[in-house]
Amino acid sequence: MRTYRYIFTVLLCTWSLVALSVERTILLGPKTIGKAWRDNILIEARHFREVKAGDILTVYNDRAKGMAQAAFQHPKTWQGVAPEYGCFGVAGPFRMTLTDSILSIARTYGVILGGHDYRILRVTVTDAGDFQETMVYEGPSVQMKNDWSVSADIPGSCFETLTVGDGLRLHISRVEKDAACKLMDFTWNALAPSVDGVAVGGDSYTWYVYDRAPLLKLQLAGYGTRTAMRIGGRGYRLDSIGIVRQTGEVSEDLTDAQRAPREYTLAPGELFRGERPFPADWSGNLSLTAAPFQDCTENDVLVISYRLDTAALSAGTKPQLSVRDNRWHEITGAQEPVWYPLDGTDVVYLFNATALDKAKTRGVIITGVGFTLTRIELISAQ
Amino acid sequence: MRNHFLLLIVLLWTVGCVRAVEPQPQPVVRYELCNKQATAEVQRLWTVLCAEYGKRAMSGVVANVDWNTRETENVYQWTGHYPALNVFDFINIHASRDVNKQGWLDYSDLTPVTNWHQAGGIVGCMWHWQVPANNGTNYTCSPGSQPGETSFDPEKVNDPSSAEYKRMIHDIDPVAGYLKKMQKRGIPVIWRPLHEAAGNSTEFEGGGAWFWWGAKGPEAYKALWRFMYDRLVNYHKLNNLIWVWNSQMNDRDWYPGDDVVDVVGRDNYYALQYPLAKEFKQLQAEYPNKLITLAECGSGDEVEMSLWTKIWQEGSRWSWFMTWYDYNYNAGTSDEHRFAGEQWWRDAMNSGLVIDREEMKRLIESTK
Repeated sequence: MRTYRYIFTVLLCTWSLVALSVERTILLGPKTIGKAWRDNILIEARHFREVKAGDILTVYNDRAKGMAQAAFQHPKTWQGVAPEYGCFGVAGPFRMTLTDSILSIARTYGVILGGHDYRILRVTVTDAGDFQETMVYEGPSVQMKNDWSVSADIPGSCFETLTVGDGLRLHISRVEKDAACKLMDFTWNALAPSVDGVAVGGDSYTWYVYDRAPLLKLQLAGYGTRTAMRIGGRGYRLDSIGIVRQTGEVSEDLTDAQRAPREYTLAPGELFRGERPFPADWSGNLSLTAAPFQDCTENDVLVISYRLDTAALSAGTKPQLSVRDNRWHEITGAQEPVWYPLDGTDVVYLFNATALDKAKTRGVIITGVGFTLTRIELISAQ
Repeated sequence: MRNHFLLLIVLLWTVGCVRAVEPQPQPVVRYELCNKQATAEVQRLWTVLCAEYGKRAMSGVVANVDWNTRETENVYQWTGHYPALNVFDFINIHASRDVNKQGWLDYSDLTPVTNWHQAGGIVGCMWHWQVPANNGTNYTCSPGSQPGETSFDPEKVNDPSSAEYKRMIHDIDPVAGYLKKMQKRGIPVIWRPLHEAAGNSTEFEGGGAWFWWGAKGPEAYKALWRFMYDRLVNYHKLNNLIWVWNSQMNDRDWYPGDDVVDVVGRDNYYALQYPLAKEFKQLQAEYPNKLITLAECGSGDEVEMSLWTKIWQEGSRWSWFMTWYDYNYNAGTSDEHRFAGEQWWRDAMNSGLVIDREEMKRLIESTK
């Protein structure tokens, strides 16, 4: 009996190790992150409750344009969950190491994933142990002085295998308060804004290569013994550098994964189609550029379709919407905003001369409370 | 007789009506260069620009960052035509090999400029004037107190004993040297320094300057412009420059003055036909004796630039346009040109509304 119990325990431990070490999907796309920071998605707080500090969050994506950028943001302040995650380039999978401070935000509010010009396919969480490290630089150690005057010259040969998605791990020691690191190309310019004086602590700092731009800068220097990267900063000693790469399995279990809202292809004349909540806290807005209004005339109409929010209604919220210019002023030129009470399924908006001029110059914003926006259509009088 | 009399009245009335709806002749505006010592090459280019103003626009691109004609090759590949104008940028003078042995480019080697000029192209120069950042290692144009920004003070242009004043001289003089070499080779230059000075300070409350030369407001900026004009024109005797000042709209108090500006430019990356037409008409009304140009343009973060035919149809009559470069496209890491790609340039070159390099060469030749 004791033998069976022993075998069962060993099997359970083995299963647990395998089960916990796989890459787990927490959000399933596709979710298009379009132009100009207009789109984002909240990764719900529940996904972070079982995650531990040091685990890695990965965002797999496609359709990234040349200058695509992303951000992991605090849902209440809209700041990056850490300074280096406020804005960074995208050209492949990108990652974030979940620290204690990031997890304290994520477990309470979740994390906003935003940016522009790429499409999220899937977001996963992986155990840090599933990343293997290969050492590429093992000294000499370089002590960074507090006046930023010292830097380590790293030869191009160290980066020959580095690709988008990999992490560059700096092993550091003698870390002082306010220690900061700066990764530079051979011309002394920062490789990316996110590594231009980033705070470092503990015994290592890992920078994941999100896009090709920094790789291009390294390649410009050539390989071999020529200096390709300069690592500077203050208040720490650089001892060695490794390249970390993911090696674990991917779980196909999507039971608990969050699904991105369905995406629609816009028909001619449609400016929006989908499900955009305008909750009672006034956080719902939709911004439209001036582009679709360029050929508009005064007799054209905007049909704004909505579905009333029953929860908001029962809480006593009066559903209403207003059309503003891009500076949040009433688009008709009136001093006070014009509010359209919502008691049906759509609002038919007629442009006056002022509204038309503003729409064609800088676009419009739809704001309001107590409904879900489902469609906006521009109908030409012609 | 009575019928003849009636016929005469009808005839006179008809002629009167026709005369009434005839377009009234526009007052002839004479556009003059501010530098009366301008070289013959500048005067020929100026004659062409003035003659074509309102009829067609000169096509142009900016260099791929600094000292090359890389973007012109894109346009040629897409359309079979070279744009007429290539604008070089002195952004990396601190890394030019003639002033820094470890530099990675050489502004003193005029080959890219002379090749372009000899092929019939018009040469433009701009200057993202980078000065040492607060951290002491980087160079930047961005004002501010952060390590990567600069607190370089443009007001010090009035204080010859200051470090900033000495730095200004230290930087302007090499640039003057490159421009002087161009003058000696008979190359006229469309010169657009100290651009976008007002930043978005006039656009909304809380806006500010994007570059250090605008950080201390319009008076310091105008003093700096005049200082540069004096240093280049009077001290270095540079007479091969057409001076372009950039408006950020509603920034009349930043305008350096008719006596030191030839062309008023506008940079726009929300380049839709309707707002562009509004801005063109506003600038034309504010600066009636200056050519008005679209000094920088392209698709922006929010919208794709309207096709040139639409921009023109809406009523804009920019003297020239200059589209911005896409580093990633030129490096082969992006399939799509971020600012102005094949479709946009095909429309422009096939519109009959723009001047390419060959046509510009012919027009310049016709003035000789």
